[in-house]
Amino acid sequence: MLRRIANHLFWMARNLERAEWRARLVDVNYHLLIETPPRGTSPWDPMLAIFGERALFAERYSTADEASVLKFMTIDAENPSSIRNCINLARENGRFVRHHISSELWLDINTLYLNAMDWTAAIFDSPGVFMFFADLKDCFYRIAGVLQSTIPRDLSYDFMWLGIMLERAEDVSRMLDVKYHFLLPRLADVGGPLDMQQWAAVLRSASGLEAYRKSHGNLIRLEKIIDILLFDSTFPRSAKFALDEVAGALDRIGRGASCEMKRETPALSQLRAELTTRSPKEVIKQGLHEFLLKVQDSCTEIYRQLVEQYLTVD
Amino acid sequence: MGRGQFVRMLRAERQPMSSSVVEISKTAPVWAAYRSREGCFDEMLDISRRPESGCSAIAEALFAMPPSRLAELSDRAEQMFRRMGVTFNVYGEQAGTERIFPFDPVPRIIDAATWAQLEAGLIQRVKALNAFVADVYGEGAIMKDGIVPREIVLGCPQFRRAAVGIKPPHDNFITVAGIDLVRGADGRFYVLEDNARTPSGVSYVIENRVVMTRLMPDLIRTSRIRSVERYPCDLLTSLCEIAPGGKSDPCIALLTPGPYNSAFFEHVFLSQQMGIELVEGQDLVCCDHKLYAKTVHGLKQVDVLYRRVDDDFIDPLVFRSDSMLGVAGLTSVLRAGNAVIANGIGTGVADDKAIYAYTPHMIRYYLAEEPILPIVETLLLRQADMRDTVLRNPEKYVVKPTGASGGYGVVIGPHASEQELEKVCQQILKEPEAFIAQPVVQLSLHPTIVHGRDGTARLQPRHIDFRPFVLLGARARVLPGGLTRVALREGSLIVNSSQGGGSKDTWVVEA
Repeated sequence: MLRRIANHLFWMARNLERAEWRARLVDVNYHLLIETPPRGTSPWDPMLAIFGERALFAERYSTADEASVLKFMTIDAENPSSIRNCINLARENGRFVRHHISSELWLDINTLYLNAMDWTAAIFDSPGVFMFFADLKDCFYRIAGVLQSTIPRDLSYDFMWLGIMLERAEDVSRMLDVKYHFLLPRLADVGGPLDMQQWAAVLRSASGLEAYRKSHGNLIRLEKIIDILLFDSTFPRSAKFALDEVAGALDRIGRGASCEMKRETPALSQLRAELTTRSPKEVIKQGLHEFLLKVQDSCTEIYRQLVEQYLTVD
Repeated sequence: MGRGQFVRMLRAERQPMSSSVVEISKTAPVWAAYRSREGCFDEMLDISRRPESGCSAIAEALFAMPPSRLAELSDRAEQMFRRMGVTFNVYGEQAGTERIFPFDPVPRIIDAATWAQLEAGLIQRVKALNAFVADVYGEGAIMKDGIVPREIVLGCPQFRRAAVGIKPPHDNFITVAGIDLVRGADGRFYVLEDNARTPSGVSYVIENRVVMTRLMPDLIRTSRIRSVERYPCDLLTSLCEIAPGGKSDPCIALLTPGPYNSAFFEHVFLSQQMGIELVEGQDLVCCDHKLYAKTVHGLKQVDVLYRRVDDDFIDPLVFRSDSMLGVAGLTSVLRAGNAVIANGIGTGVADDKAIYAYTPHMIRYYLAEEPILPIVETLLLRQADMRDTVLRNPEKYVVKPTGASGGYGVVIGPHASEQELEKVCQQILKEPEAFIAQPVVQLSLHPTIVHGRDGTARLQPRHIDFRPFVLLGARARVLPGGLTRVALREGSLIVNSSQGGGSKDTWVVEA
């Protein structure tokens, strides 16, 4: 496996995962705001905050209203991480590695790309929004399924899997952070129905509401949410699950390497250890937002070590 | 309606040049409105006129399709190509602009007897061209014997001094060749030019067939057409056969200039079909006269490189020093015999447009055979008498720069303006050795779907050429088919994809 090819496979997969999470977040936020129209505060601002895109948005739009944010996050060509751009990047990287992926996978990615190139602001005319995101999610599920059922479990798969899982760990922590930015109207609302409704929406973004109810019952409690989305090693969209997969892929890749190449990156071992030994309660007490930032920083560091070890050509 | 009657009607429909095409009414069959042009060979009409070719039934079936059906097929074909991402990039437009190679769903048919003759002629020709390259960079016997003038060989822009003394296994320099053929008014195939460097287009041959089997499954099933699917497998076999030291399981890679190259899709396609790695110059490194790829687990030695990068860019230590596309030190690896590249360095000397004039002599010289495929009469403008002839009547000739390919810089006398002719004459006087001239060859015609402005579709005659592909390993292999390119503009003779050409599937019928 060439280092350059490994890099393209990684980024192809990572951009697909990124596009999917963006779609999920925008979708859930949109529908949450229909059910509980916000009072006063700018309800789309948290979306921009969790992706760190307030400044970029402000350069191009005057107010963070629904139409502008939807456009910015979905189809804006000037926003490097709009859903359309993520799909475009996935496909651009895919072009280099068509000989490493199945033609079925390429066909699905290319079709998604061709569709995305045709998107216009008209997709946000209600009631089209629901169908748009439902269809888009289907595309991602389809691609994920084709990937699982057509790619041999070799290095190509491992580098794609790394891209998917590293992005997932990072995105799930960003998503949890949305509540940090999403201020409740009054202090008294904490733990109230609106608060719970927002947490339920967060779970739904990760397709985790049903899994939550199955294992933790009907009552939505913060520490249980943190548990399922960060610490649970069985739920496929939790940070722990994703990081275990990252470790697994790195281990398989490392098996072919000479012994001087280290198998696990220190940042990864450390973060996985924390997710094993610490408890949700403890994390909430010491500051959830800080902990989530730490997860994101660790993901950046894991990527940096990955690049150094396997992906740079020079 | 019996076949005989059908054929007679077609014959009766042939009209002089002036009446080209008549609008089709809804009820009339397609062929009733199809008019070919006098003075050109129409391949489909010829097939339908000759029942003994065994192909007239196919022509009849195609002619019987209503134009609306054919138009629908061409729309569906375009959708399929877009979805499959079968694209090419156009130079001079925004970097990385991907385009679909226009596809015409009316296939070109070649009967078994014609193909057998073509195949023999192609193998003969490529063997002679390869022997010529090996000779030029080896002993130089053909020049010593005065068959090809030394100054033409050494003065050829594609002659590479750095290749002198490189001895690849089996003396194999030209592993892949694409020979451009045209069919003249007499119905014979002529060699128009050779492509002995990095000929492209074979991926479209294979993908065109994939699309056609979806568009016309029944016709393909009943027509007994030879499969083109084996090509990547044959190419891989040929590349294995030329591995250094007869290595049994060589590491083979395809070297691409990258995604902005016009043929990038083809590079990806071929490496995917062959199951080999697609590399760029930055992925490779030479040390100790060996070639390596940079993998995630360290360096891996590469034995055979199927390169789609031109000589000029292949090794910055020997050729253009500003090249980012090649590998520094590759030439010395080749010289040491530790790797082989296909095609070899300097094969362009064999497809030079001035050298072309000598190709029949080469066939006699190296193979002691008479050429099976004729070439087009070629006037070397370095020679005063030939130059005067052309300068006197430039409007009668096609003038081609010897160094260029892809149809760039070609001036077609009868179609050129006064100024264009004036300009090319001045260029010829200034640099006579840089040009050749050929009489205008009437490219054959073929029924092709033409979409009218009003949305209707009609069959009209369009000029076509043909590029079959020949592989040379331990033995020669010819892809049974090839790229039929079609000039989509009315009357145009330029079929190049970079200049508005399209393509057709080519059906070689089983013997």
